[in-house]
Amino acid sequence: MSLEEPRDAKPEIGVTDDGLDYDALAALLGDTLLDREDHVTTEGFVVRPDDVQDALRTLKQEAGFDHCSCVTAQEYQDRYESIYHLKKYDDPTHELSVVVPTSRDDPVSQSANDVYRTADWHEREAYDLVGIEYEDHPDMRRILLPETWQGHPLGRDYDQTQPQVVTLREHANPLQEDHMADDTDTMFINVGPHHPATHGVLHLKTVLDGEQVADVEPDIGYLHRCEEQLCQQCTYRHQIMPYPDRWDYTANLINEWSYARAAETLADIDVPEYAQVLRTMSAELSRMAGHFLALGTFALDVYGEFTAIFQYAFRDREIAQDILEDLTGQRMMHNYFRLGGVVWDLPNPREEFFEKTRDFLDDLPAKLDEYHDMITSNEIFQVRCVNTGVLEPDVAKEYGATGPVARGSGIDYDLRRDDPYGYYPELDWDVVTEDGCDNYARVLVRMQEVEESAKIVEQCLDLLEDWPEDERTLQSNVPRTIKPEPDTEIYSAIENAKGELGIYIRSDGTDKPARFKIRSPSFSNLQALPEMSNGEYVADLIATLGSLDIILGEVDR
Amino acid sequence: MTGPLQATTLPETLSGLLGLNTNDPLQWFLAALIASALVGTLMLTNTALVIWAKRKITAAFTDRIAINRVGPFGLLIIVADAVRLLSKELIVPDEVDRPAYDLAPLVLASSALLGFAVIPMGNGIQIADPETGLAYVFAVASLASLGLVMAGYASNNKYSFLGSLRAVAQNLAYEIPLVLTGVSVVIFAGTLRLSEIVAAQSETLFTLGGLAIPSWYAFVNPFAFVLFMAANLAEVGRNPFDIPEAPNEIVAGYMTEYSSVYFVLLYLGEFIHVFLGAAIVTTLFLGGPAGPVLPGIVWFLIKIWAVFLFTQWTRSAVPRVRIDQLIEIGWKGMLVLSIANLVLTAVIVGVLV
Amino acid sequence: MSSNDKTTDTLSTQDARMGQGADDRFNSPLREAFGSTPFILTKFDKFMNWVRGSSMFMLQFGIACCSIEMIHTYAIKHDLDRFGAGVPRSSPRQADVMIVPGTIVSKFAPRMKRVYDQMPEPKFVVGMGSCTISGGPFQEGYNVIKGAEEVIPVDIHVPGCPPRPEALIYGVAKLQERVANGESAPVTVKPYEMEQFGDLEQDEIVQKLADQIDEDDLVMRYNWTDSP
Ligand code: SF4
Repeated sequence: MSLEEPRDAKPEIGVTDDGLDYDALAALLGDTLLDREDHVTTEGFVVRPDDVQDALRTLKQEAGFDHCSCVTAQEYQDRYESIYHLKKYDDPTHELSVVVPTSRDDPVSQSANDVYRTADWHEREAYDLVGIEYEDHPDMRRILLPETWQGHPLGRDYDQTQPQVVTLREHANPLQEDHMADDTDTMFINVGPHHPATHGVLHLKTVLDGEQVADVEPDIGYLHRCEEQLCQQCTYRHQIMPYPDRWDYTANLINEWSYARAAETLADIDVPEYAQVLRTMSAELSRMAGHFLALGTFALDVYGEFTAIFQYAFRDREIAQDILEDLTGQRMMHNYFRLGGVVWDLPNPREEFFEKTRDFLDDLPAKLDEYHDMITSNEIFQVRCVNTGVLEPDVAKEYGATGPVARGSGIDYDLRRDDPYGYYPELDWDVVTEDGCDNYARVLVRMQEVEESAKIVEQCLDLLEDWPEDERTLQSNVPRTIKPEPDTEIYSAIENAKGELGIYIRSDGTDKPARFKIRSPSFSNLQALPEMSNGEYVADLIATLGSLDIILGEVDR
Repeated sequence: MTGPLQATTLPETLSGLLGLNTNDPLQWFLAALIASALVGTLMLTNTALVIWAKRKITAAFTDRIAINRVGPFGLLIIVADAVRLLSKELIVPDEVDRPAYDLAPLVLASSALLGFAVIPMGNGIQIADPETGLAYVFAVASLASLGLVMAGYASNNKYSFLGSLRAVAQNLAYEIPLVLTGVSVVIFAGTLRLSEIVAAQSETLFTLGGLAIPSWYAFVNPFAFVLFMAANLAEVGRNPFDIPEAPNEIVAGYMTEYSSVYFVLLYLGEFIHVFLGAAIVTTLFLGGPAGPVLPGIVWFLIKIWAVFLFTQWTRSAVPRVRIDQLIEIGWKGMLVLSIANLVLTAVIVGVLV
Repeated sequence: MSSNDKTTDTLSTQDARMGQGADDRFNSPLREAFGSTPFILTKFDKFMNWVRGSSMFMLQFGIACCSIEMIHTYAIKHDLDRFGAGVPRSSPRQADVMIVPGTIVSKFAPRMKRVYDQMPEPKFVVGMGSCTISGGPFQEGYNVIKGAEEVIPVDIHVPGCPPRPEALIYGVAKLQERVANGESAPVTVKPYEMEQFGDLEQDEIVQKLADQIDEDDLVMRYNWTDSP
């Protein structure tokens, strides 16, 4: 992993020419710092539960850690621990983990909500699944599981066989009290969990003032499939890999890379160049498929059901899927990556595969023109999308937004370039940003990213074609069972179609992870929805939701 | 005041054929009843065809095939769909406002059918030809808004309610430009009687290489035609103005709670409405049933199906506007334009005639 | 279809649905109007079955990964509409068939049952994907319902993870075939019924929740030890 130079030379505390100077950062925290831990890619600073806010605030304001990527909670034999994974939007290789241990008897820790707004949901999740409580948190409720759930399933003494009761209140109206002044009438309305616009099972508790949204509160967890628990039950070598395909199920393949990267860094596994090229190519094809779907469903939201654009987007996605099927053997759940490489080479005859993929890429510009004709240059579409669902860059950073959502707000942040992995640094492509901050900008970003992906695939194809036959190593030598050193911790992330997909793994010396935490981009992006849609019209709420392109499988995990 | 079609309405022809005495109110009523039944059946058959045609047309726009298994070209789907929908369980949710809930589908479907009473369809098919034909058509067509409000309000469902509120706002905003644009035609034709409006369009406007272009008002005043088409889209609630239904925002709008027979009625009503809109366009701007070679009724059907095709086209390719934008377009754009159109027409007609 | 092996005395969804005769789910006011004259009924039933088998409105219903393949089934290449089954209605009141495309978790199950209940009879369910059969890859999750049949009766199961669009089309075609032949699927609904909270036996959990939950709330009770 090569570290990139920080792009602007403004001196920040703890920044040296070759990365972070953790001693300087430690000095910055002074007394609040209890201890320092070594994590694989970074260091963990241990602070006391009642110093969380101070420590984080100092780090954010003085050391420039403006991106709270994730909050991991876990339970040890003797303590609970919350880990705040901090990064910088300017240079995501500058990482720092803030570790907050709390006692088992009284797992209360200060909330980071005041410093990073994104901590709100992350801490609720930690409370829900692990059972740590956060002081000063504005809304300490369960987030993924039903309110009436008994126990915290990722805690150590959770009994999975105990009976549970889940309620359904007819015409439930949890926001009965009026959000507006007395002389106006508001109406509470449930959008979802089954609603055509939610693209899955999301529940938006919405308060309307006439046609305008007075308040919206996303209620998630309708697709909480216990992915973290399941990954903790599986062995590193083969069993975990199928699951990432099911997190972001529109652009499946890229997710595998997140686990591959984390586990490979953890267990120190090399990946042959040839496999890297294959990975890069397949991941970008998958990204295209995901963006086509995003485009199609966004058209569904703005145009109405079963319009031409929707169908065309699916036509093109179908082709991308076909190519991936040729390569991997499945249309969606590819399970193509292996630790240390990929599972198989290009299908034989190779020429046919090249030709098919080239055809697809050659047709693409014409198709994209068609999309631009039908979508982005349509006046009504512009009227609908420009200046709706505005997400200012500061707000986006506060909520930890990443991916096309952040890039649509002008935040130049793409892990493929900023925290390079795979074959990306060798290839010639650009990071797309738009300054519009609105729904329109996000659509534009996605459409241009399809072009960039096409560029990458094209270059990979050239490379693959010329690759000498005897150097096509698919996998490096990987031990049959992987048992990383006990208590190694790693947090690493890749850029999937929706943004920064991070994985935290803590090993305990066995062949299964002791804690497996997924940081999904959609989770953070969705959190910004109320910010973007309050005061807008219902129709724009729906469009904004569509332009966030959340995938519930990834939000709820 | 001599229209060629004006003298013989369908009941008169029928009573002639059946030997009924037109002066006897009872026999006259009988003739009118038969005539209405005929026209009603014709229009309902058309709408039934829509079940099939709509899917086929949408499919054609989106590179698909659509129904082709049931009967020739999948045509039997019409039977299957209709019977199946009728035979489904009729769910009347608790706490709906009973009479209104039941009446709404009826109001919607019948108001549109009523409009066809005065439309001249060629070959003497016109049930009545009152002097105020145009006013009557507009009046019954806008009854539908009442049906929508009833449906939305009575359903006791917030989505329905939102849908019906949107429908009212929309209809209010677009009814006025629609009527005003219609009036500009009246200025040209000098009459409200539909058969005379049609007759006025039969003259030749100019000849183009031996082809006589009739003075359809769509050619005479294309501006009014475009305005009218747009307002009409809003009036019948199709894209880009389909916000009362807006399937992705408010589920199915006013028809969310309706199932079975009621749903069929609403569905039919909606499409009869589209056809009524098409019929008005045809009568006012496309020369009614006039056309070469083929009999008038065939031309009439071709024209209304052409307009229907247009609505389906916009549906497949045009985004839906937002409610506030819709209202804005209606009040600030269309209204002004239609008044301008009216004044201009009045001046031109005043100067020329 | 025999329903003699029922063991519970409370009226389960299964009993309620089965009514007095095996073919009750095909009942409609229209058919009832014809009384029980066998001669008319057979012809009429045949016709009605053909009607129901030839055309269906689907419920626009997406849950998880399988729903992506379901959309593909509707879209250009696979075009489910060829079979007269390609009109998704977003309101359950107007739908005949519910394709359940994905994993059902505890929080969603009562909602799904609710949506199912809102559909008018006769209604059919196609379970799409391994998740609706057994919980699929997520079967061991603490939160995952072990198959759609725990909650609603399923007529056709389409296995796969996800099933290819072709497989889903085959499933729908099979469903149409069965409906057209008047075969009703075995209806089984297993332990998790919706109940009023007040009716639950007073045990530890109920005691614990008693002051949080309104007596009239509908609840679904998951007895994980009993589930497969
Ligand atoms: S069966 Fe497989 S593809 Fe379908 S929802 Fe379950 S995990 Fe996803």
